[in-house]
Amino acid sequence: MNRETVIRVEDVSKCINRGRPNEVWPVRGVSLEIERAQCVVLKGPSGSGKTSLLSLIGCMSRPTEGRILLHGRDVAKLPERFLTEIRRNTFGFIFQQFNLIPGITVKENVMLPLYPTEMGLTEIKTRAERLMKKLRIYERRHFHVKGLSGGEQQRVAIARALINDPEIILADEPTAHLDTRLSVELIEILKGLREEGKTLVIATHDPLVYEQGFVDRVVEMRDGRVI
Amino acid sequence: MIKHLKILEFALSSLWRRKFKNLGLIVVFSLIIFTLSSIVFLTYSFKREAVAVLKDAPELIVQRLSAGRHEMMPVEYMKKIKDIPGVGKIVPRLWGYYYDISTGGNYTVMALREGLQDKISLMEGSFVVGSGSCVVGRGVADARFLDIGSIMPLIGADGNVRRFRVAGIFTDESNLLTNDLVIIGEKDFREVFRIPQSIATDIVVQIYNPTEVDNIARKIKEALPDTRPITRREILRTYDTLFDWRSGMVLTMFLGAILAFVILAWDKATGLSAEERHEIAILKAIGWETSDVMELKFWEGFIISSLSFLTGLIGGYLHIYFFGASIFSPALKGWSVIFPEFRLVPYINIYQIAVLLFFTVIPYMAATIVPSWKAAITDPDVVMRG
Amino acid sequence: MILHPGIIALLVGSLIVLALLLYGSVLAVVILRRWDIKSSSEFQLGLERKTYLVSTIMSFVLGFEVLAIFLFIYTVDDLHRQFVGAMCATGSLNANPVGWYVLYVKMLLFFISSLWIGINYVDQRTEGFPLVRFKYGMLLLVAPLVLVDVYLQSRYFLGLTPDIITSCCGALFSKEGGGLSSSLSSLPVRPMRYIFFTVLGLYVLAGLISLKRQKGIFRGLTGIFSVIVFLISLASIISFVSLYFYEIPTHHCPFDILQGYYNYIGYPLYGALFSGTAFGLLTGFTEILKKLFPSLEKINRYQRKWTILSILFIVIFTLISLYPMLFSSFTLEGY
Repeated sequence: MNRETVIRVEDVSKCINRGRPNEVWPVRGVSLEIERAQCVVLKGPSGSGKTSLLSLIGCMSRPTEGRILLHGRDVAKLPERFLTEIRRNTFGFIFQQFNLIPGITVKENVMLPLYPTEMGLTEIKTRAERLMKKLRIYERRHFHVKGLSGGEQQRVAIARALINDPEIILADEPTAHLDTRLSVELIEILKGLREEGKTLVIATHDPLVYEQGFVDRVVEMRDGRVI
Repeated sequence: MIKHLKILEFALSSLWRRKFKNLGLIVVFSLIIFTLSSIVFLTYSFKREAVAVLKDAPELIVQRLSAGRHEMMPVEYMKKIKDIPGVGKIVPRLWGYYYDISTGGNYTVMALREGLQDKISLMEGSFVVGSGSCVVGRGVADARFLDIGSIMPLIGADGNVRRFRVAGIFTDESNLLTNDLVIIGEKDFREVFRIPQSIATDIVVQIYNPTEVDNIARKIKEALPDTRPITRREILRTYDTLFDWRSGMVLTMFLGAILAFVILAWDKATGLSAEERHEIAILKAIGWETSDVMELKFWEGFIISSLSFLTGLIGGYLHIYFFGASIFSPALKGWSVIFPEFRLVPYINIYQIAVLLFFTVIPYMAATIVPSWKAAITDPDVVMRG
Repeated sequence: MILHPGIIALLVGSLIVLALLLYGSVLAVVILRRWDIKSSSEFQLGLERKTYLVSTIMSFVLGFEVLAIFLFIYTVDDLHRQFVGAMCATGSLNANPVGWYVLYVKMLLFFISSLWIGINYVDQRTEGFPLVRFKYGMLLLVAPLVLVDVYLQSRYFLGLTPDIITSCCGALFSKEGGGLSSSLSSLPVRPMRYIFFTVLGLYVLAGLISLKRQKGIFRGLTGIFSVIVFLISLASIISFVSLYFYEIPTHHCPFDILQGYYNYIGYPLYGALFSGTAFGLLTGFTEILKKLFPSLEKINRYQRKWTILSILFIVIFTLISLYPMLFSSFTLEGY
């Protein structure tokens, strides 16, 4: 089956603190292709560069060298405004630390990414409610984040990542703060997303994740390179 | 458009979440605006009062000077003024000051003349002032515990006491003009103060065409070199200058306070807590642009300044117009020649608000531009690393 | 000098704006010299971030200038009693040879800042940011203009002493006086009315055509036309429009309609005129820019919006001007 390549990473490197004594290269000369509706796992120990690579793919930072092509378009060098627009339209991010905003409700957290867009509040609310129901956090929608369990917080973070209806989901160590039962729950959700046709890129060193059947490819990384 | 509303809503929620941190800022800001607006309202009210009061003042008053001091003037002078074209009615005025030993107060005593009745309103009693009766102002009545029918004694220039029955007392509204006024008949006046028939204190001149006032004043000075013509315009000008200068001075002194406040605002804006920084990083990570975050900060600043501005403004308004400027009036009254209690007429217009805005909100917003920007350019990447 | 609250406020505000602009200019110089969109070095990224700061500063400057014009007129009007012969703002402005120039500079600043903001808006939404050098070059022109504004304003206010004898609008705008204002006032009403409404009508027509035909030439025409509309409108306000608001055939003063006595009608009137002109200018100006920077082709849709806004504002302006002519009993026939 000839699938479309959505993401192509060409010889990408990232350098931090260039020219200074603490110069470090979290990613070195990585090349990668990801096809539509594929589930790709970036596997490696901490410090292997998988989080940084994820960040680069997700247009959250820029590579020092190399190109990143999204649907054939070079996004690496775009100015912030365009980068953010692309990110908003294409990606949904699930962070390792959840990164929910503490003082506001679950519902607001979920809707937040779409605030600076021209979309009307009604439509955003509808989407949010649909997602919250699907992820079984609807009853908690008026709660503040502090009153939620770990699993519930995780699901809020996922709902938020999905509010903009992205075609590519990026997850950074999603099971890091979860016990086995919750991890299994999460994996079910991810599997469901893939079945919907979404492309998944997951950075993890949890075997529970990368040994799943729906994972199409495992890319091993060490010291910033693909091995 | 919708986007701006949504960001505004989030700004409101952000501020509410950190209400205590921002409360201090709002309180200080409101106090400053309260003080400034009190000053602006007060001086503007005074100005307007002066203008309103002087509206009925004579267009032109002619006084005689002797060695630079105001002296009584021979009624004959009227003839020379009459000859000048454009001059209407010429009425001699008789008035002077009277020192009341028992109360220590200075009264203005005025002889009744034609046209005087129309200008001042009464509260009780009548204006008919025959021989032996008088009309007094509120201040005089209070100082001497007078009512309609009481007796007001005046010690004449010959040392004898003459008694005058109070026929009427002036209303509070006319206090500015009448507070310390005592009006008696012309004959009585001349008797009490021993002023001969041929003398008047000064002369009021009616002018047909207001644009000719200065010309006529000049001609009067030429015809009667020892006189000083005073135009109403000049009086108005003097008041204007006085009030502008006074309020300007105070506001300038306040610049120091405003500067201190602006520095405070800058400091607050720059010193974001770790939690705030983290929040901004999250926003950037989930798809907010730098300009969106800056807009968020703008709204926050706008809400804080608007809230403070309104609070300070309303506070100042109430202070001046309901509480009689109790905090400031002791200082301000010392400046002007207006001593009496009078109800300040509430007057507020866009101009005053604009001036206040320029002094407060604009420096504040300017001070927050750079700190907002610094906060907004946070790299979303930060959120990824731990 | 006259220590009036309004004067202090204006001077303080202007100094703040000047400080901000100087800072912005320093950034502009750096950007002009080192901007390289193709580079992805840390330095270039830093420059891109700085552009957000400069945009915000410019928006602030524009907002300030709008407020400042009105505050200036108000202050000047409030001062008039201190000058012998002055009956309104016009008299105060005449008290010092610099007075009118301050007003002109402020108006110029308004238009230039609004142009800048419009250009910045489209540039940021175009890939490659083609207008960066142009924008920041233009910014380096704005800063000196603000400096001139501050200077003139200070000179004007510092040079005011209460015993100046000046002439008021009665003399300035009367048929007998000399100079531009008098010529404007003494323009015969009938022909002026025809010119005024014809020009406005033509402008709206040109705008509508440019919307329909989407041809560049019409947009450029709109730009040039808007300036003509502006100047003719100002002349007309002095010549006859203000008369209808005052209901006095000799009162030509253009400032009194901003007073509360006339229900502040001057604000929407001038507001609509200035806004309409600004949007029209923007459309025309960006049309020229399109010829120089072909990658700007996509901004057509913004130009559409601006043209619509410009037409809308000019129509509002026309309606406000028409209102007293149609509905008050005052008539200028015979004058």
